[in-house]
Amino acid sequence: MSAGYGGTQVVWDVSMQCKDGTISVIVGPNGAGKTTTLKTVNGLLKPWSGGIYFGGNNITDFPAFRRVEGGLASCPEGRRLFPQLSTETNLMLGAYSRRARHAAGATLDFVYGLFPKLKERAKLNVGKLSGGEQQMVSIGRALMTRPKMIILDEPSLGLAPKLTAEIFEKLVELRKEGLSMLIVEQNAFQALRVADYAYVLQEGKVINEGPPAELMDSEELRKAYFSIE
Amino acid sequence: MVAVELIVRDLAFGLMLGCVFSVVAHGLNIIWGVVKVVNIAHGEFIMLGAYGAYFLNLFAGITPLESAPVNAVIGLLVGYAFYYAFLHRELRNKQTITLQSEMVTLAATFGLSLFISNLAIILFTGNPVGVNYNPGTLQFGYLHVPLAALYVAIVSILIIAGTWLFLEKTFIGSTIRAYSQDVTATELVGANPATVASLATALGFAVTMAGGALLTVWVPVGINPLMGALYAPISFVIVVLGGPGKMWGSLVGGLTLGVLIDLVQAFATAQIAYAAAFLILIPVLVFRPGGILK
Repeated sequence: MSAGYGGTQVVWDVSMQCKDGTISVIVGPNGAGKTTTLKTVNGLLKPWSGGIYFGGNNITDFPAFRRVEGGLASCPEGRRLFPQLSTETNLMLGAYSRRARHAAGATLDFVYGLFPKLKERAKLNVGKLSGGEQQMVSIGRALMTRPKMIILDEPSLGLAPKLTAEIFEKLVELRKEGLSMLIVEQNAFQALRVADYAYVLQEGKVINEGPPAELMDSEELRKAYFSIE
Repeated sequence: MVAVELIVRDLAFGLMLGCVFSVVAHGLNIIWGVVKVVNIAHGEFIMLGAYGAYFLNLFAGITPLESAPVNAVIGLLVGYAFYYAFLHRELRNKQTITLQSEMVTLAATFGLSLFISNLAIILFTGNPVGVNYNPGTLQFGYLHVPLAALYVAIVSILIIAGTWLFLEKTFIGSTIRAYSQDVTATELVGANPATVASLATALGFAVTMAGGALLTVWVPVGINPLMGALYAPISFVIVVLGGPGKMWGSLVGGLTLGVLIDLVQAFATAQIAYAAAFLILIPVLVFRPGGILK
């Protein structure tokens, strides 16, 4: 898959695969094309060439909302919550599709069980929540769509290390429920710890991939990524 | 003593006029606030609403109050069609409206405004008409309140409260509010943005055309094809006064303008009153650019 904005190509012939019930991560420095790659997956950006397949179906021409209906949810860059709506309304909006709305009550209980703090904040406008709580709402809202897979763009952005660890713990919990995830992270160590498979993106190309244990040792990863930090 | 009576009388009439102004502007406010498009042809749809009440009265014998819901249903369909005819091409696949799309929608709705008002001159002729609706008056001391104006004021407030309840308390209402805050995020929860935007536009048109019916009580002999040229700017002023996208802002702006026009009219002329209505925009924009409401 290749993609870009206007006349500028950002991603060159990137090929990735996420298996059912696993966590895949994309790591790489700023401007490597990580977010661009995710946007072609959740449908906010049309790839220039190549295609996106989900559960064996070609969804390249599906608009973003149809992909959500089909079970592909997103926690986008910057969280993109509705700041002037309450926590509970934000979460409930995730249950927009008919399929999700039938189960909305049970899913909401599940989300509150996963993030008890959100239940305390239910009536509060999301704009008033802390960064960590907002990230929980973002994940909760994605869960409310009853997804098979969630795409997360920088879930650790702006969070204290302890909170980041907490969020990643929850993601591991969700994997146990059979959920697949594709995560983009600047915070490579944290992401590689939970990942089943990782891709290293640099200047719009996959320069290395494999199980994280192998990548951690690779000289390329250190050079490409960690030396820049 | 006479001066006090005059002021009380104009205050009462101003408030009632303000209520119907509010509804007429409310339709514009919903579309402006949610879809971020300013409908220049807004006044023409008020005019069509007024003619709707006129013809329903002429052929079906029903009062403007009864015409309002009929108009609202027609408005829903017209608004839905309007969205797909004029806005969809510009708004689809956009995360926020671009300056270019804003210009295109302004020009397109301006053209629509000219088209409708000229078509109305051909169809309805330029002669003004009116709806005869007089359920009597209510007397408070020296104050004679026409019941028609009072009923219209009450229905107006009910309409605004109704749209507020719809937007606050229903699922689809929440989705519309979500869309007004972040189009992309709305799509990422699985909602088709075009569906949400077309619903909001339809709601705006329903309110506008119902408002046109209610307005006929205040223009007993003045329904004419060009009346939109007065009520569109009044609606713009009201929305800016109250704050675009603030649902109670329509009422605050409408009441402010209604009282102002009636009071100035009492001490000067009608022309000066309408001039004052636009002048009030200047201090409001200077001191509270987001509208009177917080």
